[in-house]
Amino acid sequence: MDMNEIKEIFFQECEEQLAELESGLLRLNDGDRDPETVNAVFRAVHSIKGGAGAFGLDDLVSFAHVFETTLDCVRSNKLEPTQDVLKVMLKSADVLADLTNVARDGGSVDQARSLQLIRELEALAKGEAPPAASALEPAAPKAAAAKPAAVAKAAPVEPVVNEHGFAPVAFSFDDFGSDDDETPGDLPAYDIVFKPKSELYTKGNEATLLLRDLSRLGEMSIHCNMDSLPPLDQMDPEAAYFSWKVSIKTDKGEDAVRSVFEFAEWDCDLEVTALETGETTESDSDDLPMQPVPFDLSALDGELDMPLGVVEEEEQIAAVQQAVAAAEAASNVVQMAASASRAAASDKGAATAAAQNNAQQASSAAAQTIRVDLDRVDRLINLVGELVINQAMLSQSVIENDSNGVSSINMGLEELQQLTREIQDSVMAIRAQPVKPVFQRMARTVREIADITGKSVRLVTEGENTEVDKTVIDKLAEPLTHMIRNAVDHGLETPEKRIAAGKNAEGTVKLTAKHRSGRIVIELSDDGAGINREKVRQKAIDNDLIAADANLSDEEIDNLIFHAGFSTADKVSDLSGRGVGMDVVKRSIQALGGRINISSKPGHGSVFTMSLPLTLAVLDGMVVTVAGQTLVVPLTAIVETLQPDAAAIHSFGATQRLISIRNSFCPLVDVGRILNFRATQANPVEGVALLVESEGGGQRALMVDAIQGQRQVVIKSLEANYTHVPGIAAATILGDGRVALILDVDAVVSASRGQSLQLESSLAAAG
Amino acid sequence: MATKKAARKSLSLAPVLDLNEANVLHGKLMGLRGNPLVIDASAVERVGALCLQVLMAGAKSWEEDKQSFTFAKVSDAFAKTTQLIGVNIDHLVAKEI
Repeated sequence: MDMNEIKEIFFQECEEQLAELESGLLRLNDGDRDPETVNAVFRAVHSIKGGAGAFGLDDLVSFAHVFETTLDCVRSNKLEPTQDVLKVMLKSADVLADLTNVARDGGSVDQARSLQLIRELEALAKGEAPPAASALEPAAPKAAAAKPAAVAKAAPVEPVVNEHGFAPVAFSFDDFGSDDDETPGDLPAYDIVFKPKSELYTKGNEATLLLRDLSRLGEMSIHCNMDSLPPLDQMDPEAAYFSWKVSIKTDKGEDAVRSVFEFAEWDCDLEVTALETGETTESDSDDLPMQPVPFDLSALDGELDMPLGVVEEEEQIAAVQQAVAAAEAASNVVQMAASASRAAASDKGAATAAAQNNAQQASSAAAQTIRVDLDRVDRLINLVGELVINQAMLSQSVIENDSNGVSSINMGLEELQQLTREIQDSVMAIRAQPVKPVFQRMARTVREIADITGKSVRLVTEGENTEVDKTVIDKLAEPLTHMIRNAVDHGLETPEKRIAAGKNAEGTVKLTAKHRSGRIVIELSDDGAGINREKVRQKAIDNDLIAADANLSDEEIDNLIFHAGFSTADKVSDLSGRGVGMDVVKRSIQALGGRINISSKPGHGSVFTMSLPLTLAVLDGMVVTVAGQTLVVPLTAIVETLQPDAAAIHSFGATQRLISIRNSFCPLVDVGRILNFRATQANPVEGVALLVESEGGGQRALMVDAIQGQRQVVIKSLEANYTHVPGIAAATILGDGRVALILDVDAVVSASRGQSLQLESSLAAAG
Repeated sequence: MATKKAARKSLSLAPVLDLNEANVLHGKLMGLRGNPLVIDASAVERVGALCLQVLMAGAKSWEEDKQSFTFAKVSDAFAKTTQLIGVNIDHLVAKEI
């Protein structure tokens, strides 16, 4: 494993931590005050910092550090996580994500934004309201930041001028940069009680290293409590029995003392008490036999102390591999990145613990998940697809040669078919992922746009754990981002207008996902003003999209916004009016085999409904014959099939025909005619009608010549292998080896409404 | 059959006494119970708290057995670590006469 692979694993881990961070902050924003939530948020930033330190990603480390310091204030109840505080934190989470992306992919971050947030975070940590933007220096590292406090404590000075005209000057030995000049007697003193738990050791942490680091802060004396140590035969060699009481005099401040233990704090009980200058330490009064710790501990400087940035990469890799081997017990790739941080981190032995801390979280997940390269899964899916086709071919040839269908081969084939189906379902399940990460990304989009537009917006998400194929998820983010932008920018009113309309000043955008009849349905609703139909209509007339006297239903007007180049914003804003219109959104959804619809209520907001296939790999379809061609109609679209009766067919206008079904009329659409497979309409009585429901809600009866059967087909992209064909969604290979086209039901239904399919002459060739 | 006067045993400690070594060391000590023990810690380069716990528990058990438990030689690293973490082994270190 080379350094880049380990780094890649670190970035994957970062993605998870960032998601954890964001969902934790959002929970806090919703009023969750569970300390575990705060801890989870803190741990996420902490882990990113730990790993980033190992790879020398300084920008990431320094930002994470400031962020973490402020989070620590929340954790220790010094800072109340109010909405304002959380707003800064959510923005910081965004910047942290940006810094992580830049560290991985290159590029640059918005420095001004990052510096501004650092200042806001620091102000929060100091208990101040976030300052206004000004050109200040970026945050100093923790040690430096801790110094002024310690100095102030060490030398409290009154600004008075004495009789000789001299004013005392604040003075610190730190200014000389030498520890030797310190006068320990005057230094702040701390009492520390350190009780490791067994986990501290099992995670490869070492109390001796922590104590050594502590001893480097100043003059230290120690008492080891061995009271709980059992006799040899009753002891568990890997359990923690020793605990320590330490007195230390140091000018480095309490933060520095605590930071020694910061990576181990979940695995030990720690009490740090700052003593007033001159106060006798508790230990003195306890009469505990404190043992002074020698100054020269050079004999203990083991190989774990590998200064960052000095070691050659090869050495670093060797160290990482060593660490990985040691941590192999809880085998998980994430741990490797964690171990990397352990091996390469600075001489603060505490970094060792960072790795172990990460490893702890990783190992708890290790039991349930493994990371697999997506290519491998894709290969497997492809192979299973071929298996399905092969199995179908085999079935077909057996059926052709065994007309009565009773041979044992036939029986065996049925079982094989079931097995293949199960294998396919299982393989598909591997790729299924919750939509949560995409939804979380949307939270950021909402925040940013709300900031820019000055609107107050709340994003509510539901059904984030709804699973869908990874390819669908990957392609969902872009259209969704655009729709969210639209919803906030155009959909929601300004706070003033909302209040005037009697609404809450804060607008709500709701994003939900659910499974419905074998598809995933994603709804994006806002409680804004709704679509201004008059404006949309006028714009459509201006753009020659519709005739001035066209009689359109509300639904049809609403759907006009999906036309190319349609934008009703009077001014082209930075956000939505970037030339990417809703037509692009519609096209990307359609490219996924999905449909999108809008319904709007003036004054109450709009709802966009997207319906997408759960997978882009297979489809349950009805195989039909149309004008000698074999087509596949997605089963999810079909409501019922019927044999039309001559009496049920009614002519309507010049070319339209209706079919009467249970006392209601439904337009009859000849698929062969719409697709230009034949020049004239076929006789409905000789064919079969498939009653389909389009995403718009309307029903149509699609006329086909005959139904061949129903089967699962493996989708092969027509775009990738040939070219896009209007009215056709994709293609598949049938059991007899022929290519069959999969019908795009929505496109056919739209075409039947008068929006003609722009057929290409190549269609016949494709069939 | 235990003899009235058990033979003195010796144990040389490994250079690295970490988490992995704690169990090993515990096993070795358990096998040496009942005998006076002389420990050679001169090769120790690194010793962790767990192994020191095992050694101190050993000292306690040997004391209960009324057998001697001494460190013949200790390395600088071993001595410094015990000092660092406040474990006093002075009374266990063999004194030259």
